Formats: sequence, C-alpha cells, structure tokens
Amino acid sequence: MVEIKEKNFVSAVLYVHNAQQHLAEFLKKINGILAENFEHYELICVNDQSTDESVRIIADFAKGLEGASVSVLHMSYYQGVELSMNAGMDLAIGDFVLEFDKISGDFPDELLMQIYQTSLKGFDIVSAAPKRAERWTSKLFYQVYNRAAGKRTMLRTESFRILSRRAVNRVHSMCQSVPYRKAVYANCGLKTETLVYEPRERKGAICPEEKEMRRDMAFNSLILFTNLGYQVSSLLAGIMMLAALFIGIYTVVIFVGSRPVEGWTTTMLFLSLAFFGVFAIFAIIIKYLSVLIDLVFTKQQYVIEGVEKLK
Amino acid sequence: MERYDKVIIGAGLYGLYAALFCAKRGERVLVLEWDEQVFGRATYINQARVHMGYHYPRSLSTALKSAGYFERFNRDYGFCILKEFSQVYATSARFSWTDAGQFEKFCRAAHIRCDEVNPERYFRPGMCDGAFLTTEYTYDAQMLKNYFLEELGKYPHAGICCGVRIRRIIPDGSCFVAEMEDRPPVKADFLLNASYASTNQVLEMTEGLKGEPFQIKYELCEIILCEPGEALKPVGLTVMDGPFFSIMPFGKTGYHSLTSVTFTPHMTSYESLPVFPCQEKSGGYCSSRQLGNCSDCPARPLSAWPYMSRMAKKYMKDEYGFTYSHSLFSMKPILKNSELDDSRPTVVRQISEKPAFVSVLSGKINTVYDLDEVLINGGN
Repeated sequence: MVEIKEKNFVSAVLYVHNAQQHLAEFLKKINGILAENFEHYELICVNDQSTDESVRIIADFAKGLEGASVSVLHMSYYQGVELSMNAGMDLAIGDFVLEFDKISGDFPDELLMQIYQTSLKGFDIVSAAPKRAERWTSKLFYQVYNRAAGKRTMLRTESFRILSRRAVNRVHSMCQSVPYRKAVYANCGLKTETLVYEPRERKGAICPEEKEMRRDMAFNSLILFTNLGYQVSSLLAGIMMLAALFIGIYTVVIFVGSRPVEGWTTTMLFLSLAFFGVFAIFAIIIKYLSVLIDLVFTKQQYVIEGVEKLK
Repeated sequence: MERYDKVIIGAGLYGLYAALFCAKRGERVLVLEWDEQVFGRATYINQARVHMGYHYPRSLSTALKSAGYFERFNRDYGFCILKEFSQVYATSARFSWTDAGQFEKFCRAAHIRCDEVNPERYFRPGMCDGAFLTTEYTYDAQMLKNYFLEELGKYPHAGICCGVRIRRIIPDGSCFVAEMEDRPPVKADFLLNASYASTNQVLEMTEGLKGEPFQIKYELCEIILCEPGEALKPVGLTVMDGPFFSIMPFGKTGYHSLTSVTFTPHMTSYESLPVFPCQEKSGGYCSSRQLGNCSDCPARPLSAWPYMSRMAKKYMKDEYGFTYSHSLFSMKPILKNSELDDSRPTVVRQISEKPAFVSVLSGKINTVYDLDEVLINGGN
C-alpha cells in the first residue's frame, strides 16, 4: 500500500528542562507520529540549562534517526518556558509549528493529528488541553485573568498546541517581545480552537525555580494583558482624592462652626490640598502608563482575522 | 621520465591559475586531475560568489583581503562575471551574531558599499532587522573553465592530464616523482598541491615529508540549483550571520543557488583524512584515501531541499518564488581554527624547500593571487 503523507512541513518545538525521566519515551512517541504522517518534519529541543541527562538522551535519540532533522537549542542560562519557547519558535522553519511546553505524553496518540487536522480547517492556533488536573493556583490565575480580560478568548491550562505560519508571522508583527505566549495568541485576532482530552495520569511536580518564574509571569501578564492593574490603582487614587477633598470640606466646616486652635485650619487646608494634588498626579501617571503599555504591546492599530471575498 | 618545472595536483581554479601563471613565465608545467574533467568540484560547486568581504562581519582581516582582490579579479576575468543584479545582505532579527548596526559599522571599516534598504521589500515583517544593497558579483565557472583551457592550449609546454590515479609521490634528489597507474611517472622540482579537499590525502601519499597535515574538518555540502521566478531573477538574498540561508544567481547559468548554514553541510568528518559513512556504500568510488566526486557518487545524500526551501520561504516574501532544479554536492575542508570568527584565510604552506612541495588551501576564488609569490620564489 502506498501511504500518502502530508506535504506540509511541520516543526515540533519541545521545551526540555531536566526532563530525563520521560524524555526518551516522549521523543519516540512524537517522532513516531510525525514520521508516520509527514514527509518532512523537524524536531527542535530547547534545552533550558538542563543539569541532568536530557541532552545526552536527545543526542542518543538523534543518532538512530534517519530522514528527519533534530536540533538542540541551548539557552545560555535558565530562562523559563516562555523565553525558551520563543527562541525555539524563532528557529522553527515549518509551515506549522507544534509547541510542547512540557515533556508529558499524557495525551492519546491520535490527538496530535487531530489538532493538525483541525488547524487545516482554518484555525490558526489549535490547543490541546487536559480535562482536569489543574493546580488550584493555576485555576485561580485563569479565573482572575479571564474575568479581568473580559470578552477576549478564555485561557486555560494547555499541554501543547499547533500554530500556522500565518499565526507565527502575526505574533511577530504584533509584539517586539512575547512575555506570555498564551495571552498573545489569544489576542492575536486569528481563529483559535481548543480540543479537550482526558489525560492518562496526573503530571509530575514542577521544580522550584519554575514555580517562581510562573508566579512572576502570572503577575506580569495580569498587569500587561488585562487592565486589572490600571483599574485597581486608578480606583485607589480616586478614593484617596475623595478622602482629601472630604478632609478639606471638614476643615472649612470646623472653621466656620467652632473656632479651632490657631494654625490648625491653614495646616489642614494645605495638607488636604497637597494630598489631593498628589493623588491627581498619580491618577494621570497611571493613565499614562496604561497608554504606554498599550503602545508597546500592540504595535498595530487593529487586528483582523482575515478578508473574505464574497463576489 | 618526463621532467617538468612544476607538477600541479588538482585542476580547480587554483591549479589552472598556477599552471597558466607558470606557463606564461615559460615553464614546463603539468596538471594532474583525478576527475575526467577540470573544474568539476569546489570551483564549480559553491555559491559562485566573487567575495567582497561582506560574508565575514566577524573577521575584518578576511574582509579587507577579499575587498582588495575583488577589483583585480573582476578586471582579469570580467567575461565570466554577472554584475547585473541586486545583491542584498540582511541581518536576521533573531539568532544573528551580528545586527544591522554592527554590520553597517563593519562595512564602513572595510570600506565596502552598504546602502540600507527597507527589509520588508524582500522579507516578511519582523524577520530581518536590516537589509543592505551591496556590491558583490557572481562568476560562471564553466566560462572561466573555457577561458583557462583555451589560454593553456596556447602553450605547448603546459599540459593537463585528467582521469589520473596517483599511486604515490616520492622524493628523488632535487625532484619529486609522481607514480601513477596506467601512465608513466613524471618528475618535477616543484610540486603544487592544489587539491583542496584532498590536500591531506595528497600529503599522505607523498613520502619523505615532515609537514603536518592541515588541521581541517570536512563537510559534505549540497548546493541546490533552482529556477528563480521573475521577481527573484534580478535579486540575490543573503541572510546572516548565523543559521540562515542564501539564494543568489549562479554565475550566468540562469539558475539561483540555494544554500543554508544548517542544511547545506550534510555530514562532517573531524578526522585528518576524510572519513564518511557513505564511503562504504559508494562501491569503492570514494574512500578516506581518495575522495570521489560527490556529485557523481552513487551514495550521495538525499537533497535537503525540503528544509532549505522552508527556511528561505520563512524569511522571503511570497512574491520571490523559486522551484527546484537539481543539486550539486562537494566536499569542503574548513580550517579548524577559523570556526570562531568564521574567517576563511588562504593558507599557502611550503612544506619542503628542495625539492619544493607547496600546499594551498583557500575557500574563495578571488584570493587566487596569493599564489603568485610562492610560484615565483618557491623553487629557490
């Protein structure tokens, strides 16, 4: 039987950080599926300063491989999954790019081709998300984020995804740097889809530096991609301005009603005026900052999904 | 036994240049070539650039030298040089060792032209942070070959033997004697080893030499020839400085050559003599003692076209289309100590004085003039 393989070139980008436990098995699984279905593909392992046997495992794996390209991209020092995967994406040359944020083969084999098939239907970004198995911290983050981000696409824990070259180009032209891929993907304006699957097992624990990195990133993306920070700080500035105003009125009332100690009125009036001014300036600065963030992270004025010619 | 003033091993540009140079001086010269034709390997199978130095933003010395010989080469061999195209050098926005500003500074230091153009004229948005129109040409190896054959034909005391199988080279008094299969031996008091990738192999078959072999690694390289679309025809694009690609006119053939840093080298050997796994499958055509011509080899690798074309298309705008025609393969020796700065020095090494044995190794055609000095003085 003559097999008909996909003509599209696929790049698989894997994030590798001390992943020796499942790496060999995972590489074999991914490579098996790709080799079976695609004429040409490449594997890019982004080695984020692994201190275990990960690199040797990849080298051993590549040795016994024919007809595919395997590259290891070594990060200079530990930089976390976001930056490392950005580097991997920049190296990838495929028409479609598969992103594996973690080495965990808890998804069924056919899912990989399912997300590819889904992307062929016109979805530029298709993600595979496990059905349950979220840490409570992740759950909390996504809830806060999704509420604050409002009507835009909902985020959730994902294990891997596929991007079309068009999506990669779009992300490139939108942001100088991509601090948090999921948020950028969700905001890039192209059609996205998520396939939910039943994971085989609960995944292993994450390392402490990864934990810290994630906490930072969660905070940063809330600030950058939602207007939560702006809302909270401008609300606080408003409250403080009102308080200063109230104290001013209170001082005048006391001055008129019962004669206070000499000097009290002037001091109080000056203080309330000064605080009012300070918080007014804060409010303006906060507005400025939010405008600046908008300018930096959205170079283009608008994002479109595509143009459909009807006639 | 036939006696010559100089015997030259290897009929590439360096070999034939040396032969013509000496023939003009009235010397008796003989060129020995393993292939059935001249210019069948590295002289023909490369990007066909007449280097101006742009390629070496991390090695000013290489750049300055290339620029110096550029004018001279164009004057001497203008008939085989294609000038009418826009040669664009661009610096990749990511993964590059050199950015747009550094490249411009480097060009100024090397006194070579570099006019900034909008990268988005040729490349997709965000892929390159700078693009520059440069003065760099491409030469046509077949035309150059015809010229050398014609010129050498004018000198009855200069000869070329193709299809030669040298068994060994032995010193005999003030001469070297080259013993060959199916052919009577020849002797000369000056032997020039211009065999490029086979340079260590020739050294190995020469007896009584104290010289160390070149510290080189070997790369089996593929040059893809493609048919450029209308928009690409008058354009050459090179993205640097790192794991990128180049697509540019291939002499006056009408083809464009496509190469990439990551996918052009198929295999690498770090041994002193080239050892490759494909040699076993070549059926005796190629071995670590005698390299065959990779382009004619039955065991040559599969083309990396899917990879190289992907990489190019990732950068280039869709309007600059191209299609596959065929692939050429050749062996490329690279000096090990030039890897860090990516320099490509021309090495002319006199291994013995009397009789004279000189090895030359260079990765660029327009530094061929480096031979002049040793050809004049080497024998004395």
